[in-house]
Amino acid sequence: MLNPARQLRQRFQRWAQSRQARTDTLQLTQRNVYILPTRAGLLFAVTVIVLLLASINYQLNLGYVLTFLLAGSGVVSMHITHATLRGLTLHLRPVAPAFVGDAVLLDVVLTSPGTARFGIGLKVASAAPGTLSWINVPALGQASAQLSFVATARGRHEVPTLGAETRFPLGLFRTWTVWRPAAQLLVYPKPEHPAAALPLTRAVAGGAAQARINDGGEVEGVRAYRRGDPPKLIAWKKAAKAMEAGGDLVSRDTSAAVHQALWLDWQGCGSLAPEDRLSRLAAWTLAAHRAGAEYGLRLPDRELDLASGDAHRRHCLEALALWR
Amino acid sequence: MPAALKARASAWLGWQRLPRDARDTLFMLFVIGWTVLPHVGHLAAWCSLLTLAVLLWRARLALDNAALPSRWVLVAVLLFAAGLTLWSHQTLLGKEPGVTMVVVLMALKTLELRARRDAFVVFFLGFFIVLTHFLYSQSLLVAVAMLVSVWGLLTALVLVHMPVGQPSLRQAGALAARTALWGAPIMALMFVLFPRIGPLWGVPSDGQVKTGLSNTMRMGSVAELALDDSIALRVRFDGPPPAPGAMYFRGPVLTRFDGHEWRVANFDSFATLRAPSNLQVRGDPVRYEMTLEPLRITSLPLLEATGIAPAIEGYRTLALPDLQWLTDRPVIERLRFKAEAWPQFTHGPRTSTPALREALELPAGYNPRTLAWAAELRRQPAYANAPPRVLAAALMTHIRTQRYTYTVAPGEYGANAVDEFWLDRREGFCEHFASAFVVIMRALNVPARIVTGFQGTDAAPIDGYYAVRQSSAHAWAEYWEPGTGWVRADPTAAVAPDRIDRGSRLAPPPGLMAGALGNVSPELLARLRGGWEAINNRWNQWVLNYSRGQQIDVLKSLGVDSPSWEDLALLLIVSLSSLALGGAAWAWWDRHRIDPWVRQMERLRAALRRLGLDSAAHDAPRALAARVRAQYGAQGEALAALLDALERQRYSRTTLARPDAALTRAFVSHARGLRPAR
Repeated sequence: MLNPARQLRQRFQRWAQSRQARTDTLQLTQRNVYILPTRAGLLFAVTVIVLLLASINYQLNLGYVLTFLLAGSGVVSMHITHATLRGLTLHLRPVAPAFVGDAVLLDVVLTSPGTARFGIGLKVASAAPGTLSWINVPALGQASAQLSFVATARGRHEVPTLGAETRFPLGLFRTWTVWRPAAQLLVYPKPEHPAAALPLTRAVAGGAAQARINDGGEVEGVRAYRRGDPPKLIAWKKAAKAMEAGGDLVSRDTSAAVHQALWLDWQGCGSLAPEDRLSRLAAWTLAAHRAGAEYGLRLPDRELDLASGDAHRRHCLEALALWR
Repeated sequence: MPAALKARASAWLGWQRLPRDARDTLFMLFVIGWTVLPHVGHLAAWCSLLTLAVLLWRARLALDNAALPSRWVLVAVLLFAAGLTLWSHQTLLGKEPGVTMVVVLMALKTLELRARRDAFVVFFLGFFIVLTHFLYSQSLLVAVAMLVSVWGLLTALVLVHMPVGQPSLRQAGALAARTALWGAPIMALMFVLFPRIGPLWGVPSDGQVKTGLSNTMRMGSVAELALDDSIALRVRFDGPPPAPGAMYFRGPVLTRFDGHEWRVANFDSFATLRAPSNLQVRGDPVRYEMTLEPLRITSLPLLEATGIAPAIEGYRTLALPDLQWLTDRPVIERLRFKAEAWPQFTHGPRTSTPALREALELPAGYNPRTLAWAAELRRQPAYANAPPRVLAAALMTHIRTQRYTYTVAPGEYGANAVDEFWLDRREGFCEHFASAFVVIMRALNVPARIVTGFQGTDAAPIDGYYAVRQSSAHAWAEYWEPGTGWVRADPTAAVAPDRIDRGSRLAPPPGLMAGALGNVSPELLARLRGGWEAINNRWNQWVLNYSRGQQIDVLKSLGVDSPSWEDLALLLIVSLSSLALGGAAWAWWDRHRIDPWVRQMERLRAALRRLGLDSAAHDAPRALAARVRAQYGAQGEALAALLDALERQRYSRTTLARPDAALTRAFVSHARGLRPAR
């Protein structure tokens, strides 16, 4: 369907975006701060006109004084509103990666080169108008605001366009700016929930040498029953209690501590769809990291060797986020 | 309600500790209350009470953080208020009911402050209410009170737009004041240059109600004015002022009498042309400048006898044959003009004309005893064929000798008021004396009429201006003498010579405060009053009196020949455009403004760059100092020390608010003294 108005708007948006280079530090100047009267501003204009008409008709010189005082204040408020944004420097701190479905936190630092600035609202441009996070910037100082939005797809994304606006002091004008940060944002796949239990080393085809097959090793803990658990692995006493409470069977968990090394394998996810596999692998990565295990990640076209630690976790999640 | 009082008191004491919302709401309610307060005198009692109740209710809700009432409650209260308005004013249109409804709406809207839009409605209604005060009074006091109101409203508006934390009222107030102060030049410019035009529709009869002179007079209508101490006009004389007894300001001349009410004669334009006023003057004229308050009548109360039309910007003036001056439309603004008057003059026809017949008519059936009294006078031999001036003198003597009393409060008179006054009660104000005089003269077959206007001024001038108050309103008489014309006869002078010769008026009992002060120190009271009126006079001259005439004067003083309406508009547009350009230029210049610390660092780095020391923007002064020390050793110690000092100024516990310019200068000069490395 051809919708000329929509096409025009899209064209305009493309043009406006191309005007704005992506940058992590944006200096607000005359060129990128926009201003228009608000609905209240129009109402104010109507009020001033009515006051003027009344002053003329009743020949009230004090009425003229009031009318012109309000008109003058309105004009001055326009300049103050514009000057509230103009001159500010917006800076986006490095953005931490997030999981799909989680809130991404954006830390924006505003620096004022001169006077104090009041009532500046920041938001992700596409968010609803009511979600502004408000901030004051002290004179010759800095203030930081946190914005958040929900990540919807894994991968490396550009930080969405941000908007800053203010109506200070009288609300008759709204001045705003559009900011396209250059920073990139890494979004990991959404971890599966409830998480499937970590694969047993047994499941690892052609597993590493360290992996020991041990079904009856030392009992380290319990975990949810999994199909295929032999009856002797079930912790019957605990299971009875758990079932009394409406739970499920409980098996002895012998894997985590015993099997220090562990392969998280694409192939080990059964017959799930690719994205679900990534979710499961992400959940496993988190679980393996939590358990302090040494683990490796095996994707169809990539393999990360056995390792542990924060950096390894990050590499694994990154690999999952960026897979194909 | 002691509980509510207690809550309010504790709220007041804990003003700082209130939650933000409650504090802002209370502040706004206070501002609204202040804005409405001066209306209490004009509003019906129920409206004031309802407003007070609603505001208190809202304050209570704010303190308790309770839910606002449902919309149905508001609608019900609004309908109730509309019903009461109809009941007390019989209409919903017009000034009084309009003000009543706006005040009620404003109060009720505070109960509906849900969205920001609602807040705006309250503010804009507030500005409107401020304007309605000026319909009643434009005095300096009202202006100051309303300035506070506007400031409060703007402060509340600023508070709404400071959503972070708990900004103090003082801070928001300062921001609002700053906005208004920066707007003041625009206000002054527009006030001076905005072309003053007449009312766009209708004549504002609803404006300030001035019970000045009018084209009718009833017994008691002038006495009402005796209580009104406001100023009707001011005169400044170029030379010495005429004697107080000669200061008659002539207003409407009332010839027709229906028994109750005196009215002006019928003038059609033809008769106006045909009957000249026949004014003949002797001696030297008195030149004077008059500032006339908007009396909302067409009559110009000029000093007797002003022969030449005064030039008044925006009005045409016209002299009636009875020597009254008229404007072509009611005067609804303060006028200032110059004129000349001759204290010695004669006017009116020398010989009997048909037009005089109207000045002989008496309504049938009224005041029979007075007519009988007059007939009896006529029968006395001395007066049987006496000329009018002898009869007038006889009446004056009668008034002087028969114990008549001059009083502000003569009480009510019935249908035959002249009978009652002249023969029974003998107590009256100027209009009683003048009416009786004219009725008796007519009964004696002498044409006579009543002249209304002002007589006398304040004893001492203020700023060179003699004030004539509404309480100086006066009614006197004129009778026609063959061969001479109309002759002034003021029967009040016979009963109360002080009133005429020294301008001392009958004063109504003073108010409590003024009374107490007057007893302790009459001079202080007089001086206070004089000072206050001097300020008030300036206020009137410069603000309220500012009209088209003064605008034209401003243009003339700017060197415009024969300025016009269009010139004003053009000048206004040009000035506003240049102001707007100035604002844009400021914003453009402001673009280049950067953090003064950054600017200082740039200068220091530039100085170092000349020495061959490159640095990055993020290098701290400390890092630069290390580099200078590495490069120059002891030679560069002075520079390095300055950099360390800068580091302390910026980052130590006691930082400077602004960069130290002396440091920058010292650094640059030291750097010049060094030779570039390599």
